Amino acid sequence: MHDTKPEITISFGPCLPIAAMGLLLSGCVGRQSALAPAGHDAEQISNLFWVMTAGVSIIWALVLGTALAATLGLFKNPTRLTPNILIVGGGVVFPTVILGILLIFGLRLLPNWQSEPDRLQIHVHGEQWWWRVAYRAPDQIEPVISANEIHLPAGQAVEFVLTSADVIHSFWIPSIGGKLDMIPGRTTRLLLEATRPGVYRGVCAEYCGTSHAKMAFAVVVHEPKEFNAWLEDRTSDPNIGTDDPGRKIFLSSGCAACHRIRGLTEIGSVGPDLSHIGSRRTIGAGIAENTPKNLARWITDPAQMKPAVQMPAYRALPPEDIAAIARFLSNLN
Amino acid sequence: MTDHLQKEVKRETGEGTDLWRVILAPTIWAVHFLVCYVAAAIYCEKAGRMADLLPVRLIVGTATFIALAGLAAVFISLWKVRGLSSVNDDYNYAGNTPEERHRFLSHVALMLCVLSGVAILYAAFPALVLEVCR
Repeated sequence: MHDTKPEITISFGPCLPIAAMGLLLSGCVGRQSALAPAGHDAEQISNLFWVMTAGVSIIWALVLGTALAATLGLFKNPTRLTPNILIVGGGVVFPTVILGILLIFGLRLLPNWQSEPDRLQIHVHGEQWWWRVAYRAPDQIEPVISANEIHLPAGQAVEFVLTSADVIHSFWIPSIGGKLDMIPGRTTRLLLEATRPGVYRGVCAEYCGTSHAKMAFAVVVHEPKEFNAWLEDRTSDPNIGTDDPGRKIFLSSGCAACHRIRGLTEIGSVGPDLSHIGSRRTIGAGIAENTPKNLARWITDPAQMKPAVQMPAYRALPPEDIAAIARFLSNLN
Repeated sequence: MTDHLQKEVKRETGEGTDLWRVILAPTIWAVHFLVCYVAAAIYCEKAGRMADLLPVRLIVGTATFIALAGLAAVFISLWKVRGLSSVNDDYNYAGNTPEERHRFLSHVALMLCVLSGVAILYAAFPALVLEVCR
């Protein structure tokens, strides 16, 4: 107790929040972040976020500052009016005005549905746990059917027509705009305008069952000219190798009962359209990179990659047949 | 005794614990809310998604004007009680007489009146911004 040696303690405590902050902030960039906007709406949401963060920081400092000053007795000679001014001013007038401003600011961010009625429509139908996609340009008669990947032109407003087959899903591309629920029996509409070409990631943002976390999609934003060429290309049949052994096995194994491939088999509509699957970035609705190896893994046992998925396992097929189907699909573009 | 009675009479602001007085302002708020939302829902269901919202905006505007006028009337009558209460500094919050109850409930009603006014304005704001049913 009588030790006079000064105690020196080095605390790493303060470093922890800083390190944690660094880790947290690293989540704010990338292809799935509302704080790294690549679309008109995402920019507005991001701005709103920063304005509100600044606002609440100021209010937080004011409230705590006042509480601290009162605790330390820094308010000299408070009059009888002081509490009334604080209660009526700080408790009634201030929040009412601030919330009113935020309400009007938020309402003004709503899209203007009146202008440009002729725009590209993309119908997205949520199913457990994938996305049925159909593109319809204003002058287009037959929609272009696809699945689990969305292509957009930069600088053009696109109308998403959202529906659901089973439970409530929520369609969200954080980098491009806000999210909107897909409700069974209803049609909801979302207007989005991508601004920066690139590849982004969209997700289902409403818990929808076992594999909800594995219900995602890639979003590819093109320059407008490039997009038109892409859409034009998708209106024609894919290149199907007529002597591809995988083609025969695909048909004889019954894959066509659920999957459609333009120009080959048009019966199946239970599972995702596979017409141009070779050109997609991911398989299984955004859960794995699109490689022949992953495709083979998926066909062998889909539930291993996506629990409770409807597609049955094809373990009974010889591995070389599965590999042949995977190669055949990889070449469809 | 006489002095005490005189004082009682002087500070008399009214009597009774009439609950209608307390819930009148929130009732105006509730009716305004229902009028705005029901009118918009029925109109948009009949007129379609792209219909111009102008008729609904006019209904909301009129309903808001009437509701705020009603609130102003309620506010003024309640403010008078407060005015009388502030004349003398004999207002006893801990009191348990009809007079004290009346003043306390009037004070509560006055606060609810302010809250209802803010709520009515917030409910009416979207009508300033939205242009079509969609």
